[in-house]
Amino acid sequence: MSYWVKKGLKTGVVSTRYPKQEETASGITPGLPQITDNINSDDLISVCPTRAIHKTDEKLLLESSLCIHCYRCSRDTKEPLSWSEGFEWASFEKNSTPFSSTFGHSLHICVVDSGDCGACLNETKLLNSPLYNMHRLGFFITPSPRKADVLLVVGAVTQQMKGALLKAYEAMPTPKKVMAVGTCALSGGVFEGGFIAENGVSSILPVDITVPGCPPPPLAILHGLLSLAGRKNIKRGTK
Amino acid sequence: MDDLLLISFLIYIAGIVAILVLPKNMSAKIAGISGSVGSVALLSFALHSLFSKTIYTASLWMIPNIGYLSIRVDYLSAFFLIATAIVTLPASIFASTRVSYIKESNNSFLLVLFLSLIIFVILVLISSNIFLFLLVWEVMSILIYLLVNSGKSERAGYIMLAVGETGTLAIAIAFLLLATNAKTLSFEGLEASISSLSVGMQWSVFILSFLGFGIKGGLIPFNFWISRAYSVTPTAFIPFIAGATLNLGLYGIIRVNANFLPMSEVGFGVILLIVGSITALIGILYATIEDNFKTILAHSSIENAGIIITAFGASMIFLTSGHKVAASMALVASLYHLLNHSVFKTLLFMGAGVIEDESKTKSLDKLGGLLKRMPWTGFFVLIGVLSISAMPPFNGFVSEWLTLESLLRSVELASLGVKVSFIIAGVLLALTAGLTVTCFTRAFSMSFLGMARSKSIEKTKEVTKTTLAPMALLAIVAFLLGVLPTFVIPTIDRAVYPITSASATTALVPPFFNNQKVADKLPSGFVNDFHNIGAQVGKNTLYGRGVVVMHRGGKDNPVVFAMSTSYMLITFLILFGLTVGLVWLLVARKRTVVYKTRWDGGIKNLLPQMTYTASGFAQPVRVIFSTILRSNISNQKETASKHFRLSIKQERQEVHLIDRLVLYPLMNFAKKLSHLLAKMHSGKINTYASYAILTLLVFLGISFYM
Repeated sequence: MSYWVKKGLKTGVVSTRYPKQEETASGITPGLPQITDNINSDDLISVCPTRAIHKTDEKLLLESSLCIHCYRCSRDTKEPLSWSEGFEWASFEKNSTPFSSTFGHSLHICVVDSGDCGACLNETKLLNSPLYNMHRLGFFITPSPRKADVLLVVGAVTQQMKGALLKAYEAMPTPKKVMAVGTCALSGGVFEGGFIAENGVSSILPVDITVPGCPPPPLAILHGLLSLAGRKNIKRGTK
Repeated sequence: MDDLLLISFLIYIAGIVAILVLPKNMSAKIAGISGSVGSVALLSFALHSLFSKTIYTASLWMIPNIGYLSIRVDYLSAFFLIATAIVTLPASIFASTRVSYIKESNNSFLLVLFLSLIIFVILVLISSNIFLFLLVWEVMSILIYLLVNSGKSERAGYIMLAVGETGTLAIAIAFLLLATNAKTLSFEGLEASISSLSVGMQWSVFILSFLGFGIKGGLIPFNFWISRAYSVTPTAFIPFIAGATLNLGLYGIIRVNANFLPMSEVGFGVILLIVGSITALIGILYATIEDNFKTILAHSSIENAGIIITAFGASMIFLTSGHKVAASMALVASLYHLLNHSVFKTLLFMGAGVIEDESKTKSLDKLGGLLKRMPWTGFFVLIGVLSISAMPPFNGFVSEWLTLESLLRSVELASLGVKVSFIIAGVLLALTAGLTVTCFTRAFSMSFLGMARSKSIEKTKEVTKTTLAPMALLAIVAFLLGVLPTFVIPTIDRAVYPITSASATTALVPPFFNNQKVADKLPSGFVNDFHNIGAQVGKNTLYGRGVVVMHRGGKDNPVVFAMSTSYMLITFLILFGLTVGLVWLLVARKRTVVYKTRWDGGIKNLLPQMTYTASGFAQPVRVIFSTILRSNISNQKETASKHFRLSIKQERQEVHLIDRLVLYPLMNFAKKLSHLLAKMHSGKINTYASYAILTLLVFLGISFYM
């Protein structure tokens, strides 16, 4: 006989209280580099492999949807960038809205791995773990797009997966939303402009919400889902 | 009306003569017309003689030392004639349309054989003289052999002939034993001298006749010819051979046990019960894993023969233990199932044959997607499949239900051993019924649904209306037999009454729905119980002879089991209509429907091999029954320079249980025997001469001392 009931009671609730309370545990997020106004070094531009740090109108900017968390900007430069904690990075694309309140309570999610390295998929998988436990919020993974409300895409849509992704989108009933998770899905990441993959999901599908990060932590994805369900108010239409 | 039998014979013979005389291109039409018109005459004759009070008898001609060759149409024969006529009518139309597909032989000759076979099948059923019976039985066997082979030289045909002749031999010995006791060759004489049979004689007659007729009827252990012969028989003739000639074996078993043997030994019934139920299970087990639709149907014929014999065995046990009504019920179930089996098996063999001819594919693994190409064939085969899987409102349901219910009546029996055999038989039949659904779900879905698994299917087209008409006719009969059991049961009961001397009609079809007078005679407690469950007995709310088929347990326990396929159908239709109406009212009207392609997991090309195949569907059954099936699986690996694997090939071979246990040992024994005999054949003329002299001396010696 195992003592799982006893053990379970002893352990107590380990799930994060995230949407109700702030989650401040250490290591919960890898963070993103932060550019403050006083930093203005061309060194940073040359060090960034994915051109996430670029200069517009003589001003350094950070495009988070390109950042691959390589930390070169904080290690290999004279003026190392500081890193922000926090994980509420999800943002709506232009003209995109959350689900109406009728569909906002519970969402069924179909995850499509369109050729990722495994990191984003792993983080998505963690949503099912006791620590994040997305079921308490009414989010469920479904294998069939026929039953899904949200198409969660990870990976830089490879040529092999392009057809499958389009088929899955076609198979979904309306109302449907597409959620791009991870830098590769947002822009192609390190594969951008390559022959192997598309430049992100948005080049073939209308994306509704994006979650940057390489990989984004589970809470960032959870934040994206909550925003999609209309249960978290975020900035919109930045692009 | 009695002339109708002669008329039907004359029509068949006229057909034969016309085919032989008139040009060849007309022979198919002539066969179709004469076969179907003759069957209509036969059907009306058989129905008339079943309902008439006198038994039709006729003496054909006198043969010295043998007596009159006489024919007699009693109620049992009349019932079997009905079943034969129902099969013959569509089967002869079907044969005439499909005979041109046989390339190996002269078609008009085959049609002559076919019409003759119909005549001889009828003669087997009506002959009432041992000599005539054996004569027509033998001719019938040879005609079947010729039709099975149809100009080809098939090993299956030889096996059938060899086993069939062994059966005929056993039947002949059984009949001669009876004849020596009765000192006459006429059936009436055998029936009259039934009481003077000794127990040993009874047992030997029973065993021999059961073996002999069981071979024709497809019972274990000598049914290995069926699956072989049926799968090579041309499509044109297989519906008739499977639908009508299998019945002859069962007719023989029922005739011998019911009329020529005194129903005193309970052992006969137990043997029938156990053999029947095991036959049923083995039959359906191999039907479930077979790959060829015709072979599946052949194995399923074995299964149904098993069910029929199980019910007949139950009836015999009830009769020997004095429960006449229960015996009648079981016999009604048995004969009902026989009739049903003839109908749906003929229908399914037509469908299977058409599929094989049109798609030029034998394997279920290579079929698929035929429903779009042959919608009407698919529809009729679906009805056949539903009937054979015992789904209401089709006919198989009624008879299988009655069979299982009559097995449940074993509670009335006293002997524990017999009860246990009933339980075993009931369990085996229940398992059989379940496997039948699996088997025919597989057979239908793998051939008609899904994707086309080979290129030849894409060219397949719907067959002509003349080919579809017989199937449609049988489908309608299957449906009517399913929804009108309360009219069929009293008809069959007439055939059962002379055997069991009790009527099952009142037990199965309660008369109290007819009118107030019958209802008044019923015990008041019985009526009250009905009021309690909401039925108004005899209040004219339910008019007509029995829309309800029911077992009445007796005065003390009114209703034991009740079932009404007629009401079931009406209820189904109403519920279906209501559901559709509600859905349309509430939901469908306000919605727009979008059609998109199906979700296939996102793969680029869905190949037919990726979908569920027939082998895959049967795999669970294979695994569960692996101890019985004993598949031989051999792995072959092909490697390059000993380490790099190029391919793995897995082969599975299955040897049928009966082949393993009966056929191959028999063959080995025959081989050994012939080797022994071969030693005598040394080829020297001197030795042969000495054998001859030795034999002469021995016989002379014996004759001196005798």
